[in-house]
Amino acid sequence: MKKWQQHVNTWLTNHLKLPSDVLLELPRITTIGHFHAYVENHRGLMLFSDQEVRLKLVNGSLVIKGNDLVIKTLLPEEILIEGKISGIDFAPQS
Amino acid sequence: MKQIQAKWLKGYVRIQVTGYYPELFFDLCVRNGVRVWSIRKINQTTCTGDVFLQDISLIRRLRKKTRYKLSFSKRIGAPFAFRRIGKKKPLLTALICSLILIIYLSNLIWNIEITGVRPEVQKKIQQTLSNEGIYRGRLKFLVDSPDQIQKKLLEEHPELLWVGVQPQGTSYHLEVVEKTQVPQQEVGKASNIIASKDGVIVDMYVEKGRPLVEINDFVRKGQTLVAGKLTAKEDEESEEQKNGSPPVAAKAEIYANTWYESNLSVPLETSYEVLTGEESNKYYLGISSLRIPIWGFFQKKYEDHQIETNKHSLQLFQWELPIYWIKEEIYQLEYVEEKRTVEQARQVGLHQAKEELQQMIGRDAKIIDQKILHESLENGKVNLHLYFTVEENIAKIQGILQGD
Repeated sequence: MKKWQQHVNTWLTNHLKLPSDVLLELPRITTIGHFHAYVENHRGLMLFSDQEVRLKLVNGSLVIKGNDLVIKTLLPEEILIEGKISGIDFAPQS
Repeated sequence: MKQIQAKWLKGYVRIQVTGYYPELFFDLCVRNGVRVWSIRKINQTTCTGDVFLQDISLIRRLRKKTRYKLSFSKRIGAPFAFRRIGKKKPLLTALICSLILIIYLSNLIWNIEITGVRPEVQKKIQQTLSNEGIYRGRLKFLVDSPDQIQKKLLEEHPELLWVGVQPQGTSYHLEVVEKTQVPQQEVGKASNIIASKDGVIVDMYVEKGRPLVEINDFVRKGQTLVAGKLTAKEDEESEEQKNGSPPVAAKAEIYANTWYESNLSVPLETSYEVLTGEESNKYYLGISSLRIPIWGFFQKKYEDHQIETNKHSLQLFQWELPIYWIKEEIYQLEYVEEKRTVEQARQVGLHQAKEELQQMIGRDAKIIDQKILHESLENGKVNLHLYFTVEENIAKIQGILQGD
């Protein structure tokens, strides 16, 4: 059932040009240079230090690495990270 | 992007969380609807973040379920600022007192300036003003409006022609114009007395000068009645006149019958409003366009009424604060309808015409006779053509032009 729904959603995004982040519940990441990262559709904070931010996603997790990281705003589904960002990695569900 | 707004206004607190993985406490908070911002990790076990003051109790409740330690390191925002000022009671009281004092002082009358008249009249006016409650140190609030002051002053001092009252900030400027007494004819300045109107002379009192007319003479307007030159024309060239008696200022009262005509129409049906004398007062406190009733809620409502509104505004220096003290005086009105017979209408017309005439010719004159020359009834109105005989003083001083 879940698989079938996923198929439908993928088809919808491909053929109806609907935004994929909404349908597939994927994160939308906006970065401004290397000092701002804005992540929507996350599912919670897993780990935070000034070197690394680890966010829960629907499927796996998102790791943002950098220096002097500060969470500027934290909302249930949105997070704004400020600092020197050096990398954004997707980690599959472990 | 969602912004967290009005941080300073609502007041926020920097909280410090200590424990293993302190950031997870913030995560818990966020999932329970607490907005958190500026999260920083100090070291492995401590983390700081800003939260709204209003969320503190919720955070405390959440913390009880966990093993984190919570401490508050900074309090920022309006609620804290107010609380800090509020704690300084002497400062606060002084502030409020000084504000009240400033408002009070700028609503006092500090100065009353009277210009345009002699000092003795000034003094009299000042006396009247202070009787009316306008003096130094009086609240402007309780003082009547400039129009009323003007009216009262003019009533009390008939010698004044005009009074201009201008409240300017905390002072009142009164500009007064005195009635200039009709300049006394200077002694020695020769003048004749002439007739100001056509008429038949009924009485003469000649004090100075040589009368040229007699009682029962008909005189035309402009005719010389009393001559300033004491000698008759024939003798004018005589030596005696040249040496002895120069022309004098003629002085006389000449009463004559004069005639006036007037037309007027009186309707047979009239309706007019009368104040019954019943009145009620209402008081309001006005703030800009808002009016808050303060006194006089449960009073009789009149069907027909006339409302007089007095507005006193509070002042701060030269500015008017948008705070008013409004007094409403509500007078009951009554409409009276009246039907007149032709006879009554005629009487009313006569009375009205007499009043008007008396006003025109002055109080000294006497109306001695009246006649209705013509009367007609038309469209429910009585048209009257009236004729009056009046006895009045027709003497008018006219200077003698000295021949060159």
